[in-house]
Amino acid sequence: MTTAHLELHGVSKSFGRVAAVRELSFAVPRGSVFGLLGPNGAGKTTTIRIVMRITLPDAGRVVLGGKDIDDELRERIGYLPEERGLYRRMRVLEHLTFLGEVRGLARSEARRRAGRWLDRLGLAEKAGRRIEELSKGMQQKLQFAATVIHEPEMVILDEPFTALDPIATRQLKEEIGAMRERGTTVLFSTHVMPQAEELCDHICLINRGRAILHGRLDAIRAEHSRPALEVESPATDAELVAVSGVAAVRVADGRRVLELAPGAGIEAAVKALAAAVPLTGVQVVRDSLEDIFVKRVEGDHAPLA
Amino acid sequence: MLRWRKVWPVLRREYISRLQTRAFWLSTLLVPVLLVMLMALPTWFLRRTGGEFRVAVVTADAELASEIATRTREHAAARPGPGRLAVTIEHLEPTADAEAQRTELKRRVVVKELAGIVWLPETGVASGEVEYLSTNVTAVRLVSELESAVSTAVTKRRLLDAGVDRERLEALTRRVGMRPVRIGEDLRETGEAAFERSFALAYVLTFTVYMTLIFYGYYVMRGVIEEKSSRIVEILVANLRPMELMVGKIFGVGAVGLSQYLIWALVAVNVGASGVFAGATGNVPLIDPKLLVFFVIFFVLGYFQYAGLYAAVGSAFNTEEEAQQTQTLLSLVLVPSMVLMFPVMANPDATFSVILSLVPVFAPVLFFTRMTVQMPPAWQTALCLVLMLASIFLIARFAAAVYRVGILMYGKKPTLRDIWRWSREG
Repeated sequence: MTTAHLELHGVSKSFGRVAAVRELSFAVPRGSVFGLLGPNGAGKTTTIRIVMRITLPDAGRVVLGGKDIDDELRERIGYLPEERGLYRRMRVLEHLTFLGEVRGLARSEARRRAGRWLDRLGLAEKAGRRIEELSKGMQQKLQFAATVIHEPEMVILDEPFTALDPIATRQLKEEIGAMRERGTTVLFSTHVMPQAEELCDHICLINRGRAILHGRLDAIRAEHSRPALEVESPATDAELVAVSGVAAVRVADGRRVLELAPGAGIEAAVKALAAAVPLTGVQVVRDSLEDIFVKRVEGDHAPLA
Repeated sequence: MLRWRKVWPVLRREYISRLQTRAFWLSTLLVPVLLVMLMALPTWFLRRTGGEFRVAVVTADAELASEIATRTREHAAARPGPGRLAVTIEHLEPTADAEAQRTELKRRVVVKELAGIVWLPETGVASGEVEYLSTNVTAVRLVSELESAVSTAVTKRRLLDAGVDRERLEALTRRVGMRPVRIGEDLRETGEAAFERSFALAYVLTFTVYMTLIFYGYYVMRGVIEEKSSRIVEILVANLRPMELMVGKIFGVGAVGLSQYLIWALVAVNVGASGVFAGATGNVPLIDPKLLVFFVIFFVLGYFQYAGLYAAVGSAFNTEEEAQQTQTLLSLVLVPSMVLMFPVMANPDATFSVILSLVPVFAPVLFFTRMTVQMPPAWQTALCLVLMLASIFLIARFAAAVYRVGILMYGKKPTLRDIWRWSREG
């Protein structure tokens, strides 16, 4: 998990006067599940398109497995774009075979694997049907199968959970887990933080084309979400702030949360509280990824001093 | 630059999926039917100028009238075939009331009992002044046949009156027939029927080139738009270079076109051999094999030019409706070549024909048309092919650049200026 599978070095891309990606650098460790996070319009899709060489960057390098990526190397990546299309009039087996060929498989091999995937997805009896006769859910399964049919060492999924129903969402999460088990590197973009929190072990948070947080998820959380105490107490806010180790009181969802002063230990603060005010309940809470995300993005939008 | 192992699946998909459509087989079936109809058209027109006519000849001289009848019969016998002109002469003695007779005959012409009236007064033999009355005095062939017959008969009457011996007279006034003979490039002589046939053939072959260029160019454009609007293009260009995708599509659709040509050729050879055309054209048309080779060459070179342009247009727009206007502009390049086809066919060696037919976008129709009439000098053919290849090269570069930018460009409908800018960027 220490070697980088994919690295971006100072990648920039502008469309006219709009800078979509600005000097973006991050590394995706081999075998990791990597979340590319950011609000809509942050530059996630542009970044992925640059990795896939659909869009060429104005500056910077993309390195895959230690080599600058080119049209041959990119075949090792399975890519599922956000806008997923299929030839509506094509037959199911023929279509999957075609996408396998496009992804570099020989025709006979592509056909064999396509047949196997249809069996696995329970679509074997639909092999001769036209794509347009399939339900939307089946089409989505087919698109996912096409993404990994050439058994890539890395999979890139752009907003894979959009437009999925809860069952399909769970199936995709299971697939991602299975790929992690097999050692496939997974990079996916999302703006839904709980999903990222659940699945990723590494993230890069980008906003307005720049990376604002990047690294192991647990390290980021340890660094950026200091523990706080959620208390139930009849004491007033002023009484609580007066306790040593307490920096501020805020109310979140009707609960009072005490932010601790820098350097203050949890244990010491709880002891000081218990001694100073009556307590009916106390609990340690941490910022979720979403809290970190919102704080950082809002901070990023503040005028730069 | 191009990786054929990448182009190949795209090409095969295009080819097979199109061969499986109903449209392909329908057009394969209907186009020959249409073309046979077109081919029969000149014959049909010719037949319309021929036909059966009844003409009244008003003269006091019965012998003169029968002489006219004999002459028109001879004419008809000399030129058989679809354009045969059979004239029946109805001899009428002038009555005392010439005005009443004339009025009655005119009425018969108006009600179509008669095609016309030859009014030959007694003084006409000497003065040579004869009238022909008809509702249609521009039926050129009928009028000239009658004029020739009347003229010969009157001349004969004058010679008899001058005392020439009747037997010698027959020999001296024997009919003179002029048979049109066409000289081929190889100095070979072919008859009139062959001439009419080659006109029909030239028309049909040129029209086929024109039509297939429009159809297949349009298929390429529609295919590109479909890939773009279904968004499958994003998956494709993550694995293929845009140029590979474009070339695969153009070659795939082109292969469909060639297959269709092959089917038609096979059918034509078999049907031709069985003599089904014999009724329509007089004889089985024997196509010069050299012409057939150029037929395919001009289709292929024309196709590459237009398919490239249509692919560029398709890539720039999001829907067929959006592309409509620019596509119309494109067909405006092709339409003039069809309009100019007739003047060029009539004067294949005129300076304007030579210059227009060498313009690469017109050449598939106009240069080929010239070839069907008369093989142009070899240097012109060579120049034409070189110019077309150069044009294909330039169009391919332009199209690839526009395509590269266009296929991933969604949103606002681009202007022609935008497309031009993409071609500089790409």
